[in-house]
Amino acid sequence: MKKFLLFSISCLLITACSNNDSTTSQVDATLNATILDDFSANLARPVYSDLASKTSTLYDEVLALSDGEATDEELVACQTTWKAARSAYEQSEAFLFGPVATDDIDPSIDTWPVNFTDLDSQLNSENAFTEEYINELEDALKGFHPIEYLIFGLHGDKKAKDLTARDLEYLKALALNLKTLTADLNSSWDPSTSNNYHTIFTTAGEGSTVYTTQYAAFEELVKAMSGICEEVATGKIKDVYDSQDSTLEESPFSKNSIADFTSNIKGVQDVYLGKYTVDGKGLEDLVKNSNLQLDSDIKAKLSSAIASLNAITDPFGRAAALTQRVQVQNAMTAISALQTELDENLLPFVQKHVK
Amino acid sequence: MRKDKLVVKVMVIAGVLLSVYACIEPDALTNSNYSEWLSGGSQTIFDHGVGAFGTSFPTLTEERQQVHEVGDAAFSKTFVSAPALINPGLGPIFNNVSCTSCHINDGRGKPPEPGEQISSLLIRISIPGTDAHGGPNPVPGFGGQLQQRSIFGVTPEASVTIDYTEVEYTFADGETYSLRHPTYTLVDPYESLPADVMLSPRVAPPVFGLGLLEAIDEASILALADVNDLNKDGISGKPNYAWNVVEGKKTIGKFGWKGANPSILQQSAGAYNEDMGITNFVFPNESSYGQPQYDNRTDEYEVSDSILRSVEFYVRTLAVPARRDADNTTVLKGKQLFTQANCVACHTPQQRTKVNVAFPEISNQVIFPYTDMLVHDMGTDLADNRPDNEATGVEWRTAPLWGIGLTKVVNGHQNFLHDGRARTLMEAVMWHGGEAQKSKEFVDNLSKEDRDALIQFLQSL
Repeated sequence: MKKFLLFSISCLLITACSNNDSTTSQVDATLNATILDDFSANLARPVYSDLASKTSTLYDEVLALSDGEATDEELVACQTTWKAARSAYEQSEAFLFGPVATDDIDPSIDTWPVNFTDLDSQLNSENAFTEEYINELEDALKGFHPIEYLIFGLHGDKKAKDLTARDLEYLKALALNLKTLTADLNSSWDPSTSNNYHTIFTTAGEGSTVYTTQYAAFEELVKAMSGICEEVATGKIKDVYDSQDSTLEESPFSKNSIADFTSNIKGVQDVYLGKYTVDGKGLEDLVKNSNLQLDSDIKAKLSSAIASLNAITDPFGRAAALTQRVQVQNAMTAISALQTELDENLLPFVQKHVK
Repeated sequence: MRKDKLVVKVMVIAGVLLSVYACIEPDALTNSNYSEWLSGGSQTIFDHGVGAFGTSFPTLTEERQQVHEVGDAAFSKTFVSAPALINPGLGPIFNNVSCTSCHINDGRGKPPEPGEQISSLLIRISIPGTDAHGGPNPVPGFGGQLQQRSIFGVTPEASVTIDYTEVEYTFADGETYSLRHPTYTLVDPYESLPADVMLSPRVAPPVFGLGLLEAIDEASILALADVNDLNKDGISGKPNYAWNVVEGKKTIGKFGWKGANPSILQQSAGAYNEDMGITNFVFPNESSYGQPQYDNRTDEYEVSDSILRSVEFYVRTLAVPARRDADNTTVLKGKQLFTQANCVACHTPQQRTKVNVAFPEISNQVIFPYTDMLVHDMGTDLADNRPDNEATGVEWRTAPLWGIGLTKVVNGHQNFLHDGRARTLMEAVMWHGGEAQKSKEFVDNLSKEDRDALIQFLQSL
């Protein structure tokens, strides 16, 4: 035990300050600053802006749906846009830090499970669903999943004629609330707003109020990438797999879970590459400068994680509980392997090459 | 045997060489044999981002890591109204819907901004007198904690409004600062409240490192106590004792803003029960029992014994983030000022946990929590005037300071003290009074440069 402790303490000491003692020739502060800039310009801001514009479209489509007689075409449009907005949000979960995490925005957008008992009571009540009223509702009554429940239905087979007037009233209010919250999130990274996170993140080590070193911002990035892998592998997937209980699935009504997970991992890939639609400098460029093997290892793990999710062809809840447990197990293994690669190889590399 | 010793020696030498080689500067910190970089001893982690408070002990075995993860998942579960397939049992009255919605990122809560709803702050209430075990006397019809939220169709107990009055103060060198003095008002109570009701607002404290704090030997805590100030230094730390439900007797209190909670288990079980309305084996009755909000449901414990124990284990095994910039010249100067100001009289830098062979991770660790785990008179400005077991209305438990510099990155704010009234670390310092009056005056008389150094030291914790 003593040996172990001494050893681990010396290891800890080394880790504690290894980013202080790397030789300056290894650190390209200009490239590192560009990577942070490009992350904000090419990832965070476009993804949040995409999310905000999709939820804005969703709101317009919900208005069309509730205006006059609801048609199946209008409902399908809402469903399609819901999935597109969902994809942007799940992609953004690869960088779940900053305002979305610290300002409690995530729970009000993405709380699971839905409080069905209270949702039914709301629909059966005569309460007016004003903007203010919805704003003060519990998180389990608003955001992506109650909207999903209303537009897809409990079994994913909702038809326009099934929507009651109260359903539509509630849906309208929820869509407006989601639009507002995601617009707030978008502006929280907008360089033109006060206290914006773009400035906080990109001035790391140069006056940032949160990140005293560039390394602190890089650590945030890598830990967030690793964090979402852990969340998908040991949370979202494992809970259903272990319990063999398909009711634990998130996004069950739209049968969108596999798409959600894939967007999560694609988000990790995009952060690594530094691109969403526009390709800028990313962690990839830092790694490739001095360790091609690590670069190819990370890319291989990313591809196999995404491929392992694509191999699950049944709706996730059923696949994990019953029909494709081997494929689901493989996905957990592949995503955990990606997480290990990020924690044990990418992070130590970054420690050496960012000050 | 001999070979073993040799191995140990080689390890020591290698360890020392490596650490010296890796970073020469920490020598400046060696006024003890332990590295002050490692705030949590061997349970220190090196994540300084949003996950800094939410990382498990680095030395957990795989099996124990799994239990930690089960607890982690339960900690973030959102409860909903019964009946439901997943996580039923919320309320009927409650403060929040999951552990994590107050302890966001396992960190620190804050009072609401203007226009926001109260989320990670709650109000304890009582009337004069004590309950059967010497604890606060519950308010008839309301209990010991105000639940300002409810499930559909149920009336919450009351709402809370917070008003702040800004008061300007001046440091000795002429620089001004402002402290916001809060006033709490209960509005729209579902039935009338007694006139002598006492309120104590509390924000959710960070939950990392609690396993190490719990493991500090009671004897070491008592050794620091000086209830009657026999050494005449103006500081009289005193242990709080509170009813330990599981043990069926009063034991020393370690947690909560007034140190009135004896264990992580009881703290967690109490939060399930009072904050979320989730019954469990420690607190089997709904918080609304005997009130009109009570749902008369005869459901089993709404959180199982295993899950409750897993959550206890999760909290016990959250690691402590390492110091940053501990060897920086300004930080070292700030540390010196922290000592000179006698902040260390209560914010005890170093503690040692007791030997516990059954729980090796927290056994015999030298840690740097900056607390004596005792309650102190903090002056009338900070007082809630609501006694809680042995703690009087002016006494608060010394808050641990480890990790405090990471609050901004983990929680996006810098609201400190029991109700988050301080908006910066310096405001928190200047709220100190009572036994800390002299220390505050010391800071008041510092130059701007020295004040900044003191804050930079706190930021490095």
